[in-house]
Amino acid sequence: MKPRLTSTCLLLLAFIAGPIAQAALPKVALFTTGGTIQSKGAHRLKITEYNDGRVTPDELLSDLPELKAIADIQVTEISNIGSGGMKTDLLLKLVKGINAELAKADVAGAVVTHGTGTLEETAYFLHLTVKSDKPVVVVGAMRPWTGISRDGPFNLYNAVRTAVTPEAVGKGVIVLLNDTLHSARFVNKGHTTHVETFVSREVGPIGYSDSDRVVFYRTPLTRHTSKSEFDVSALTELPAVDIVYGYQEASAAPLNSLIEAGVKGIILADGAPPFATGSSAAIAKGIAVVQSDRKGAGRVPLSERTAGRGVITADSLNPQKARILLRLALTKTKDPRELQRIFNSY
Amino acid sequence: MHTSPSLRSALTPPRPQARRFALRALTASCALACLAPISVLRAQEIPPIAPPGLSLPRITLLSMGGTIASQAKDRLNITNYGGKDNPRVDPEKWVKDLPDLALYARITTEDFRPPADAPAGGGTSYERLYAVAKRLQELANDPNVDGVVVTHGTNTMAETAWFMNLTVNITKPVVYVGSQRPWSGLSGDGPLNLLNAVRVAATPEAAGKGVLHAMNQNINSARDVTKLSAYRMDTFRSIDLGVMGVADPDKVVFFTAPTRRHTHTSEFNINSLPPKLPDVEIAYAYTEAPGYILDAMVTAGVKGIIVDGTGAGSPTGGQTEAIKKAQAAGVIVAVTARTHGGRVQDTPRRRESGIIPADNLMPEKARMLLQLALAKTQDPKEIKRIFDEY
Repeated sequence: MKPRLTSTCLLLLAFIAGPIAQAALPKVALFTTGGTIQSKGAHRLKITEYNDGRVTPDELLSDLPELKAIADIQVTEISNIGSGGMKTDLLLKLVKGINAELAKADVAGAVVTHGTGTLEETAYFLHLTVKSDKPVVVVGAMRPWTGISRDGPFNLYNAVRTAVTPEAVGKGVIVLLNDTLHSARFVNKGHTTHVETFVSREVGPIGYSDSDRVVFYRTPLTRHTSKSEFDVSALTELPAVDIVYGYQEASAAPLNSLIEAGVKGIILADGAPPFATGSSAAIAKGIAVVQSDRKGAGRVPLSERTAGRGVITADSLNPQKARILLRLALTKTKDPRELQRIFNSY
Repeated sequence: MHTSPSLRSALTPPRPQARRFALRALTASCALACLAPISVLRAQEIPPIAPPGLSLPRITLLSMGGTIASQAKDRLNITNYGGKDNPRVDPEKWVKDLPDLALYARITTEDFRPPADAPAGGGTSYERLYAVAKRLQELANDPNVDGVVVTHGTNTMAETAWFMNLTVNITKPVVYVGSQRPWSGLSGDGPLNLLNAVRVAATPEAAGKGVLHAMNQNINSARDVTKLSAYRMDTFRSIDLGVMGVADPDKVVFFTAPTRRHTHTSEFNINSLPPKLPDVEIAYAYTEAPGYILDAMVTAGVKGIIVDGTGAGSPTGGQTEAIKKAQAAGVIVAVTARTHGGRVQDTPRRRESGIIPADNLMPEKARMLLQLALAKTQDPKEIKRIFDEY
């Protein structure tokens, strides 16, 4: 409650003071990880196969001088890679960096650039591990920084605007592309190429960054950031959890190979006949098994049958997000009851 | 009007019924207990089915009619039901048809049904809105009531629920529910919708979130929900936003809460409203839409006009001229977007023209908010603030 109030007051102060004195601009910590927003194509029509160099954080900022009017930006470069290459050590480096910056009284919020492919996973990881009520906005782009009608610059501008908006305090990690604010808990990438790719199926956005103001309509109710019980500050790795996909005639081989490889948890993306015996074998070996779903919307309802087999249900988390939560949950407990409580609350 | 007798009967406390339903609950839960091996269950946060009895929440079920209260002779008739030969379902009959309700709540029914010959949605006059809001405010203050479910026809229920969201000071759950198919229809959605509405109203987490709308297993906010399909069951959606929660078979879950002002944080209250609100009408924008429709509204004495503009909220040329004349006559003009997605923004040009942007409200909801605002103030700045906060 108290840090939230303090940060709200600081943001308000920054807002009131902003127009009066440039020196009082709110500080925003920008963490860059790479992705399409930091990609270059050989020419501007190259908006799908752009592998012609990377955009440095300095280039991002010098190409967007408008940012100087709204925030004092301090850059930390975590990586400059596509989001498919995001790894545990980088995630931990990122969240530790964010927590260090947000602990400073004069930093209003943080912005993270990220590739869109796995953006929802990193955003949800941060949603569960950031220890602050200050705004954290994860931003990307669907078109490279060099592309025709590129979306990156305005997305980045809006991300910084949102990070210094008082109403964004306490709302958890926000994903922002296409003028739309999503909660990291509910968002997923829903289109391969369009700029309106990010959707929160069923739940919808929590707000919008319109030209006149950043406007909020919803606040997420699941536990996150300062209310989260997960603490990764002393960790250098996370338990291994992998996903098996369910489809017609899915074989037992992927599931069995994960058990042999010694994973600590398995996410079932939908069901298949071999999963019943496979998951029982996994549970017998102390591996946590979580039932998620491949449909992309709706909760996996709590079921007596599933619970009776010791399988945890993933609520409305998609498989890749259920994996993030299970990895963090397994740092606290292996008790199926406790794990189910965690899946019911986050 | 026809509301008065039903209101009077509503005020008679039907205590004996509550006892009868508690008995029915006992039978129903015994049947369920036989079906489900609850004792062998390794319960992982599965909410147990509450034992029947006097600890269950006390829910008032207020019937305003609608398709959910309509019948036809033939169960395949899911479009031309109702009329004088097919009287609306008695609220008592609903409860008898749904003994499962007693697993979740102690139900008291109140009858606000319109007369049998009233046209669909035609019963929703301001007089009726006023009477229902007054009654909801009484229920808010009644220590013997834990939550309220209002059944309503689907055509205008979103704006009715929005009116209650703005004018009733209540933290207890208030849930609006209807159905797309009549009570007598094949694969009717009414029974599960009604059951789920009662479950939502009986959920402690539903308190303080403003007036809710629960149909098709979804929970939406009265502010944002709108009807989008004439016949399909998934008709109610919150464009631009989404559901706040779901009424799933295992439990009622809330994912988000609204941030705009409503019910107990609203500055409007039914007890301080006049029995008649200032007139506000809606003009639709389209290619060549003329100004004389707006002129006619001004002549008729409206205090406000909503223009449902094209694109980001643009009136046509003819309308723009008429808007200037209306403003000169002291009429407040606000614009919505007929795209029905996206906000009408606060722009320098709009500020200069004195037109109030109505955020992302549907025109029929912007109309009600402007009516309430005009009952308080004529100051455009104040009205703009109200549109920003609600």
